[in-house]
Amino acid sequence: MSDITLNTAPAAPATAAPPARKRARMPAMVIFAIIWLALMLLTAFAADLISPYSYTALDLRNRLTPPIGLGGEWVHPLGTDELGRDVLSRLIQSVRMSLLIAFGATVIGAVLGVSLGFLAAHFRGLVEQAVLALVDFQAAMPFLILALSVLAFFGNSLPLFICLLGLHGWERYARIARGLAVSAGAQGYAAAVRQLGASPWRVYGRHVLPNIASTLIVSMTLAFPEIILLESGLSFLGLGVQPPMTSLGNMVGYGREYLTRAPWILLAPSTVIVLTTLSVSLLGDWLRDRLDPTLR
Amino acid sequence: MFRFLGLRLARALLTLALVVTFAFVVLRLSGDPALLIMSADAPPEAIAAFRESWGLNDPLWQQYLRYFTAIFRGDLGQSMRDGRPAIELVAERIPATLALTLPALLIKIGLGIPAGVYAALHRNSFADRAVMLLAVAGFTVPSFVLGLVLVLVFAVTLGWLPSGGQESWRHAILPVITLGIGGAAVLARFTRSAMLEVLGQPYMRTALAKGVPWHVAVRRHALPNAAIPTVTIVGFMVGSLLAGAVVVESVFSWPGVGRLLVVAVANRDLAVVQCILLLVAATMVTANLVVDLLYGALDPRLRVAPKGATA
Repeated sequence: MSDITLNTAPAAPATAAPPARKRARMPAMVIFAIIWLALMLLTAFAADLISPYSYTALDLRNRLTPPIGLGGEWVHPLGTDELGRDVLSRLIQSVRMSLLIAFGATVIGAVLGVSLGFLAAHFRGLVEQAVLALVDFQAAMPFLILALSVLAFFGNSLPLFICLLGLHGWERYARIARGLAVSAGAQGYAAAVRQLGASPWRVYGRHVLPNIASTLIVSMTLAFPEIILLESGLSFLGLGVQPPMTSLGNMVGYGREYLTRAPWILLAPSTVIVLTTLSVSLLGDWLRDRLDPTLR
Repeated sequence: MFRFLGLRLARALLTLALVVTFAFVVLRLSGDPALLIMSADAPPEAIAAFRESWGLNDPLWQQYLRYFTAIFRGDLGQSMRDGRPAIELVAERIPATLALTLPALLIKIGLGIPAGVYAALHRNSFADRAVMLLAVAGFTVPSFVLGLVLVLVFAVTLGWLPSGGQESWRHAILPVITLGIGGAAVLARFTRSAMLEVLGQPYMRTALAKGVPWHVAVRRHALPNAAIPTVTIVGFMVGSLLAGAVVVESVFSWPGVGRLLVVAVANRDLAVVQCILLLVAATMVTANLVVDLLYGALDPRLRVAPKGATA
């Protein structure tokens, strides 16, 4: 793929004060998104405290009981699956697992991408060409196929799975970091600190990085929902998170067997996936519009 | 122009070589293929014979070279499970996949691009908001959720359409819709932002200022310029015709390439996985090359000054 999008844009961070904008009211959708995400984070952190049951506990007398609203009772607010496991408890565990994976993978992707981008910008020449060739390679392949091949070759384990998803999107960070670091190098401040004798670590870590942080944060919020979708897709196919662990996609793939008899097993995690990705996307779009018009 | 094309071609070949190397490295890193295929308690003689017949005792660079030349001749190895050539297994699945992805591509283009252009031309109108909301929803709803909800509504509840399998064209309706809607949303979003960017350009103001009617300005100046980023995305979609339906094929138990890939991954049938990987890479690279050619056709600047394109 050609890199026409970001590199050619004059990515110089605005040194003059941006035109004074009226402080727009936060749209209702964004407020909703923030509330939902806060709820999800809370769920993830307090998973063990708020689960009514253990997510593996069987209740064989109450198999496939429907949720409240479909004739169920408060004993199992979201119903149970065919082994009598409480759907709500499983959902809470799954939220924790999916968010953990998505956070881990996003951070890995960002760190990897930014490091490679800075390396390319610092050394130029052959290193830069190698990084750009890798970026091209990554951008040219559908990530799902690459991920599936790696899983086929290496088998599956949770740390490997997180690292693998961390490879998603690193090329975007690398492009952004390289582009912005190159243009920062041409500006006074980076040259000034270098003249003062700062090491490259200091120049990039303490001076360039903070200057491009807002762009990177926006990219991370845009990549986060994609990683949730990837994780849930792979787990849905049975190739991601493996039982007895559970994740949102895992629950959907599993609930699919009971689509006709007990659709709630599948609908509960599906709703959570959709609302979460939607919220992060809305928040990301809004942040991008506020913080970084160059990414539009 | 030739310089531009030559560079692009070299890049495409380099990408393919990288994919082949990736497959080889990952294959070797993943452990001893002999132990992977044979069970761990197989007799040592059998393992030795297996290693000999697959050439696993040779130095690594020889294996790499042999691997490369074999692929060059179109020999992608046999399925390690049933012994048939991997390429045959994959090739017989391709028509089924295309039967889903080609109609879906038409939906994506036919729905996504007009919606995006319309939304951009009527910015902040009700239609624009509606299109954008739908586009965000289409992007955030994973394809398996969309597919399963469609099954729940149209197959389970209403009983209008079959929920899976490949017996007639009616079986293809739900998977095609599932694939098409998601892609159309992505395309609409992209087209809209490309159009908005172009509409804000000085040349649009110039055209309008010199008295060119709005619709002519849009047709002559805005659309061709906005086409460039859009063509990139469409190219990516064309490139993933073969591999873009992995999840959807699984939802609807459609016997295409994607389903084969999932089964092969679950069984760790490495030859088949590799074959699909290379095939997808080749289609993707070809599609990108065609997109580059289209850039040349769409944007005269690239023909005159190839330096700008290679930056």
